[in-house]
Amino acid sequence: MVLIDRFNASQSKWRVVAQSLPQGGYNQSIVAASLAGRMQCLIAVDSPMVASFAWAGHLRPLDGYVSGGALAPISPAALGRYAGKTYAAGQFDAALAIFTKRSILARMHTRVPTLDRPWSLAEFQTLLDRLKADGEYRYPLDLATRDDKASWWTYAFSPMLQSFGGDLVDRQSMTNAEGTLNGPAARRFGAWFQALFVKGLVSRQEPDENAFVKGRAAVVYTGDWWAPEYRKYAGDDLLILPPPDFGQGVVIGGGSWQWGISKACPHPDGAGQFIEFLLQPRQIAAMSDASGGIPVTEAGAEASRDFGKTGKSRIFFELMRRFAKGRPATPAFAVISNAFTFAMRDVMDGKNVEDALDDATDDIDGAIADHHGYAAVRNR
Amino acid sequence: MNASGDPRARRRRITPWLFGAPALFGLALFLVLPFLMALILTFTDQRLVSPEPGAVIGLRNYERLLSISALVQTPERDAAGRVAHGYSGEPLYARARAITRTVHAYRGYHPLTDFRLGERRVTVLAKDPAFLRALGNTFVFALLVVPLQCSMALGLALLVNAGLKAQTIFRAIYFSPVVMSMVIVSVVWAFLFDKDLGLFNQALKAVSFGLIKPIDWLGNPSTAMPAIVIMSAWQGAGFQMLILLAGLQGISQELYDAARIDGAGAWQRFWHITVPGMRQTIGFVLIVTTIAALGLFAQVDVMTGGGPRGATATVMFEAVQRGVREENIAYGATIAVVYFGLITILILLQQALQRRRAKATP
Repeated sequence: MVLIDRFNASQSKWRVVAQSLPQGGYNQSIVAASLAGRMQCLIAVDSPMVASFAWAGHLRPLDGYVSGGALAPISPAALGRYAGKTYAAGQFDAALAIFTKRSILARMHTRVPTLDRPWSLAEFQTLLDRLKADGEYRYPLDLATRDDKASWWTYAFSPMLQSFGGDLVDRQSMTNAEGTLNGPAARRFGAWFQALFVKGLVSRQEPDENAFVKGRAAVVYTGDWWAPEYRKYAGDDLLILPPPDFGQGVVIGGGSWQWGISKACPHPDGAGQFIEFLLQPRQIAAMSDASGGIPVTEAGAEASRDFGKTGKSRIFFELMRRFAKGRPATPAFAVISNAFTFAMRDVMDGKNVEDALDDATDDIDGAIADHHGYAAVRNR
Repeated sequence: MNASGDPRARRRRITPWLFGAPALFGLALFLVLPFLMALILTFTDQRLVSPEPGAVIGLRNYERLLSISALVQTPERDAAGRVAHGYSGEPLYARARAITRTVHAYRGYHPLTDFRLGERRVTVLAKDPAFLRALGNTFVFALLVVPLQCSMALGLALLVNAGLKAQTIFRAIYFSPVVMSMVIVSVVWAFLFDKDLGLFNQALKAVSFGLIKPIDWLGNPSTAMPAIVIMSAWQGAGFQMLILLAGLQGISQELYDAARIDGAGAWQRFWHITVPGMRQTIGFVLIVTTIAALGLFAQVDVMTGGGPRGATATVMFEAVQRGVREENIAYGATIAVVYFGLITILILLQQALQRRRAKATP
């Protein structure tokens, strides 16, 4: 809101008026508005939905309305790209990390990993096994599996799948999951994930989201938005670490809420100016200071309170810059995300890993085939 | 002079329609019309978000929803032709899923369940096993919750009607879960059912001196549905209690007094006066509860998300999952239409039975 006031004050040609929509029904509201032809000019879109919105014709490409110079420094995952065009740009992103305490690692004789030398799968597993054997923690690791929403499961666990060497869908063609989501690497990931629950290293459903701050869990895998709470709890003892390298490098999810221009917008140049204004380092920094989100440009990070070279949250900026990978930009994302989540929840609950991944693969490939690979629209 | 010429008779014919018009208009606009639209949707591949208009695809949605097949396998044999056995001595079979994915005739089928027939293993296959499982889950839920909830409600109604002190307060207390939002009740009960910290397991541990190991209520496929049944019955019983209470108070006190003079005990009075006197009310309550049970959604969505391994997925949950969350509105509509058809058949059957019984006992 402050940003909008500032934009309105910074020039006299355009006036931006904000409209709030409830988060729960946000996408439905946008779709309804679009169907009714009453779409707002500027819309915020969650990054995995950008491809779907672009494909459905709700968005127009930013090219020509936002200068290339403004988009160039932005972290790739913060740009909503589809079919070779940029449709949305974010001011901030989020990052996943491992949170634990220095004292816990010391007691377990485990080395503190760095951005350049993250834990390997074996190191991570050894730590978890030691913690379990130690007996102080009933479930040493919290993966926030309590949240059963597809958005969290895909955001949190598909990067692990990628780090193992699999993926949700073949990113080259974007038309099939066969061999990628159910290949050998994906099966290894599934088996490892299942074992976490079988061995009692992770609870399938923590009673609340505070396992770490209440001392029930020693290690948490979650997003940067929990950092303030954890700092309050652990103080200087808190460690914010990169997730393990499961074989193919560390991967975390990238892409948060992004701004796009609707196709129905009568003044796309004005909307473009607003987005360009938002992407100025000062505005990115202001957004980050207010919301805690990670600035998506180096200059924005420098100008911000916490994400500069010596800022206390710099680690999240580094994690984002080095390891963030966007979720697959395809209109089939809703199906992919749902199928993956159901498969992984079934795996957690003991279903045969191969069967679960095959089911998800068939669901995804079937849905894409029903749409002839979404090709008609991609090529126009 | 014929009847239509008489203005009074004509008015008498029009008046009911006139009074009914607002309600009929609402029903047509919000129930009949959407249902017809849903019916049309089922023959298309319409998506929620799509630049392309849905195309007519005939019966494909129905075919995917309802196709069933079976796969019969003989055990794997080793080089010498002996049956291969697993660790616990069971014969080994090729993975059914591997066959359904490679053999063309089984393309699109998934295993639903399997059983052994002598040496052979028969796997029942379905194109959408999740729907069939959800259908089964929903009827199991209704079968469990209706007797439990109705008997709880009857018990509460008798208790509240017994003329004890402060019964208005108890009536309010028993009714209070009904006015609470189902989502909030579900969140609270998810805490109560927690495996390690939940109230139920703590209580079980305390009364059994630690003999009963913690039950993973919502995490175990065999206890998840019963857990939801218990919670739903608790939440809903207050409503049925009120209706039953009204039925109870409609029974003349004189009947009880007469029975007492004749020396009838409490049990006899209940069985021979209360139950016959409330037959209509109980029938109504049973139907209302069944209908509500078949629409089970909120508890599942909040407490288990259909899990573990599909053990609590219901038809409504499946319809929302496919239709809204996966944006395949045509398929979601197909689930709803098929379900509507099933329930209609059930109700017609039930009414036919009732009519026959009514004739048998005039």
